[in-house]
Amino acid sequence: MSRTLILVWATCVGLIAVAPAVVGEGALRFATECLLILSMAQMWNLLAGYGGLVSLGHQVFVALGAYGLFLSSGWLDISPYWTLPVAPVICAIVAAIIALPLFRLREAYFSIAMWVFAEIVAAFTTKSSLMGGTAGVTLSTSRLLDFDWFEPILFWIAGSLALGLLGALYLLMKSSFGLGLMSVRDNDIAATSVGVNVQRNRFIVFVLSAAGCGLAGAVSFLGNLYVGPAAAFDVNWVVYMMFIVLIGGIGTLEGPIVGMIIFFGLREIVTDQLGISAGWYLVMLGVVAVIVMLWSPRGLWPMLRDRFGIDLLSIRRLAPKSDLTRSGTSD
Amino acid sequence: MAWVETLINGALLGGLYSLLGIGLALVFGVMRVVNIAHGEFMVLSAFLAVFLVGMFPSVHPLLLLIPVVVTSFVVGWLYQMLIVNRVARQPDPLAPLLLTFGISIILRNLMVELFGADVRSVQLGELSRASLEVFGLNIGIMPLSTLLLAVVLFLSLQWILKRTTFGRIVRATADRRDIIRLFGVKPDRVYNYVMGLSLALGAVGGVLLAVRSSFTPFSGGERLLIAFEVVVLGGIGSFWGALVGGIALGMAQLAGLKFDPNAGLLYAHLLFFIMLLIRPAGIVSNRT
Repeated sequence: MSRTLILVWATCVGLIAVAPAVVGEGALRFATECLLILSMAQMWNLLAGYGGLVSLGHQVFVALGAYGLFLSSGWLDISPYWTLPVAPVICAIVAAIIALPLFRLREAYFSIAMWVFAEIVAAFTTKSSLMGGTAGVTLSTSRLLDFDWFEPILFWIAGSLALGLLGALYLLMKSSFGLGLMSVRDNDIAATSVGVNVQRNRFIVFVLSAAGCGLAGAVSFLGNLYVGPAAAFDVNWVVYMMFIVLIGGIGTLEGPIVGMIIFFGLREIVTDQLGISAGWYLVMLGVVAVIVMLWSPRGLWPMLRDRFGIDLLSIRRLAPKSDLTRSGTSD
Repeated sequence: MAWVETLINGALLGGLYSLLGIGLALVFGVMRVVNIAHGEFMVLSAFLAVFLVGMFPSVHPLLLLIPVVVTSFVVGWLYQMLIVNRVARQPDPLAPLLLTFGISIILRNLMVELFGADVRSVQLGELSRASLEVFGLNIGIMPLSTLLLAVVLFLSLQWILKRTTFGRIVRATADRRDIIRLFGVKPDRVYNYVMGLSLALGAVGGVLLAVRSSFTPFSGGERLLIAFEVVVLGGIGSFWGALVGGIALGMAQLAGLKFDPNAGLLYAHLLFFIMLLIRPAGIVSNRT
């Protein structure tokens, strides 16, 4: 890792550490939301941009993570912070199980089968009295929380999640596993022929993506102290993740950050400043996404990167210069 | 006896479901694109039908199906020409999927903002309640004629694709879009007609489903899932398979509702998922 990168990293960590002391509660809540949605978008991007699997049912992991956190905290009667690890574990297990039938399907079939799976889980959740049915679940252990520190702690969790995921993804993509992954995305037949285990790579990425999404979803609903099936299984979760990734740049680490800035910037301008309804906001966001897809299919970040020559978290690899220098994986 | 009636009604509902699926199957078969916005276009045609019924109360609602179908054809033609053709020729199979998903989100929220999120339906008056009594079973006239209409449309579609010049061009384009250019055919223009046809078929299904049950601007997702399940269960490229798939889904849904009244589409979804588990070869082998 280069020195500037470590410097940028340390600055971000420092900013996140001191932010709660500087900004007000409203701004902090907004920042928490940004960081959580960014984390989800990164996870969706891991699956779509590197694994080549477009999921239209990722809201199921957001919901399962949230329900896992709320129920486990209630049953064990301990503070929800301690049961946060339950969320990614549950999502990873569910993803590992459903990967079995789903991985027989490809492209659009996988996408829509994921959606159907999310609908089935949502239907069972609203029927199950254990999971609160249509009424949802209120956090029963909220008396264990110190509400003076609640918002800052949520912000710190969200910040470490976003930064941690970004760092982990960077290291993952730098590794030989990452190289194998990208080769599968670009041409799975060629990747198989040089010995990359396509199904295994996809499986790992799917499980990781589900776990990360579950954790971000759990933190997101923890902030409300309540989770209901309508909000948890909302298709809009996956719409947000997808639009952020597509606008920013699919298959890049910086893309979702750019997409997140546009996503929330547009939202603040349209719904707060201009007072236009959320429906019109989604229409505008969709139009932006469609325009980007038609005119710059790789997203905005690769375009900006090429124009201004900025390379922050590049995971591109250059081919070796000659046959004699054998440093194929250096950047 | 009640169970037999449920299964028969399920089969009749299946005729309607297969109509939802056939448009999706046609587009996928010809250009390898799954049009995620198919459900939203169906809801859009249902809205158009509701408005036309309101504007011309003296005309029989089923006659108003004709302008709705024609409009849908034109909408599909323009949709393909202006938007989908730009990505359909890309080698990346994910591009059309993502693009049509974006279009579906735009359409859904436009409908919410323009028409409101109220529950609506197309009213047919007496006809929607009329039923026949056959050997002590009550069979609705509307569902029965819907199934017959589905069969007629399937037969005509098959005839068009097998016997007419247009059909031969469509099939040739589906097979080799590069070679067909040598014969002076522009594949993009063929695609325009196919998408028009697909949305016209979708409009028939969308309006008839709006007669049977109410809809909101958010119903598009549900309709797309039904259409998709019909296509996958029946096997891609097979029109009669789509009919069988639709009937299986309709039966699963109504049988499920019988012992679990607020299940909605849960049992249809479950049937689809179980079929994925036990008959994956039937699904995967249809891919090229």
